[in-house]
Amino acid sequence: MYYVELLISGLASGATYALFAVGLTMVYGTFRFINFAHGELIAWGAYGLLLFMLPPLSLSFAAALAPALALSAIIALGTERIAFRPLRKKAAVTILIASIGASYVLRSALQLAFGGDLKSYPVAFEGTVDLMGVRVTHVQIAMVAAAAASFAALHWLLRKTRIGKYMRAFANNPDLAAIYGLPLAAVRIAVWVLGAGLAALGGVLVGLDSNLDPFMGLSGLIKAFAAVLIGGPGNVFGALIGGLLIGTAENLSTAVISPGYKDFIAFAIIFLLLLFRPQGLFAGRTGVR
Amino acid sequence: MDYLLHIAIMAVIFMVFAASLNLQLGVSGLYNFGQVAFFAIGAYASAILSTGGAPIGLSMLAAIVVAALAGLLISVPLLRMRGDYFGIASLAFAEMIRLLALNERWATGGPMGIPAIPRPEWLGMAPTSLVQFLVIAAALAALALAGLGVLQRAPFGRTLKLIREDENVAMAFARDVKAFKRRAMCVSAAAAGLAGALWAHYLTYISPNDFTVQTTILLLLCLVLGGKGTIAGPILGAGLVMVIQEALRFLPLAPELGRLVAPIQGIVFGAVLVLLMIRRPQGLIGEMRE
Repeated sequence: MYYVELLISGLASGATYALFAVGLTMVYGTFRFINFAHGELIAWGAYGLLLFMLPPLSLSFAAALAPALALSAIIALGTERIAFRPLRKKAAVTILIASIGASYVLRSALQLAFGGDLKSYPVAFEGTVDLMGVRVTHVQIAMVAAAAASFAALHWLLRKTRIGKYMRAFANNPDLAAIYGLPLAAVRIAVWVLGAGLAALGGVLVGLDSNLDPFMGLSGLIKAFAAVLIGGPGNVFGALIGGLLIGTAENLSTAVISPGYKDFIAFAIIFLLLLFRPQGLFAGRTGVR
Repeated sequence: MDYLLHIAIMAVIFMVFAASLNLQLGVSGLYNFGQVAFFAIGAYASAILSTGGAPIGLSMLAAIVVAALAGLLISVPLLRMRGDYFGIASLAFAEMIRLLALNERWATGGPMGIPAIPRPEWLGMAPTSLVQFLVIAAALAALALAGLGVLQRAPFGRTLKLIREDENVAMAFARDVKAFKRRAMCVSAAAAGLAGALWAHYLTYISPNDFTVQTTILLLLCLVLGGKGTIAGPILGAGLVMVIQEALRFLPLAPELGRLVAPIQGIVFGAVLVLLMIRRPQGLIGEMRE
């Protein structure tokens, strides 16, 4: 039973890692750079919800969720406009350094606005259900459900809608897509808003499960990196599998190694994949790419 | 007066640290975002040995050797990657080292860190004052900076720059590209290890919290602001950044305002890094290009 519980909590955290990873992998797939500031969109989504739930606004959890996701999307679009777009013709490493700077700005702004201590939401979802003898928390169910719904919606968007087709076209061959006169501006907005919104949703879920911590973005980013690398950069549905794999691997590892080394798993995966299979475990199969 | 000495010591240490990264990021075009790992290895090695009773000079020497060996070892897998992949992998390496320091309590004290690291003694007498420490640190730093400067101007450094600009040309001139990069990483790690050891003996207390991504970002700012690829760039950049950072720490502010200083400084430093990339990627001192 112990292992089943570890597996379930692993799948639940893996679901949030997958949500984190969507934006990172789509930005890489479409614009060909690693956005180090992506983690801060997770954190700003989580803290944004807190902002709208506290006075003076005092919205309910449900009412505050949409503005929190929107806040994260606005921050993403703002960072893109100010920091990344002027550099789009530069080397990927130049944009990577700029995004490291942007992450420092956003993380420090978070600490300025909310302080450095751990915070938690003024509501608690502490219920658990008993599934055939296994204890599952409501938050864990919400995590899995949110990821399932998000990826189903993403699949529909990418496959069945016009903007989804444009997004896949730009990810496949940006020059050709531009020659055909496909709307880059709309694709850019779609990629950043979707990526930031899902990252923020994941951040909120992690905040519900544990705490809000100004450095939650950084740790979320690491998990997202690992998920992206497993799935292959640019591959949205690969990132889903990657996220789930890392979540379960991390949680199952606590049965055999010290829990202090839980984060080590993600780093080791990043390191080994970059070294041996930078194209991801499922190269050849492509998602948005 | 002690403030000024403190700022000077921190600046000197970071000059060596920034110059060490420069040999990779500036001269060789190796975007190492995990240089803090070698700083940490140097700091921990020297701290563990000296609290264990070894003489400080010997501990620091050992710290340099251990850091150099770590640089040599990690260069083997890292150098199979390039560009941003190299950067992310090196960052992952640095975080793995930090997690090791956090979890191997028997050696590193875990999250509590290592307290009471001895300061060097002044010619066998009482522990040093700040002035004396500054003299020691500055002398060692001058030695390291001079060494790095000479290397950078020597055929070795010029070959690294050639590799940075075009590996194929370097190969056409029969240069072993990987061997050059490996040596650059080894020397660079050694210098970072020296900086870390100095830092540990100056602050007399280290913990894994000192070696996070935040330190990496600060170091990156020092180098990019001053001008990567130049000899004076990292010295200028580290001087400026450390003077600003450490001076702000001693502003006579009310506690509720003082709490805001660090985040505001973070916003400014991050914004400067972004702005530099957009407006002046070569930094304050641009590299001369013929």
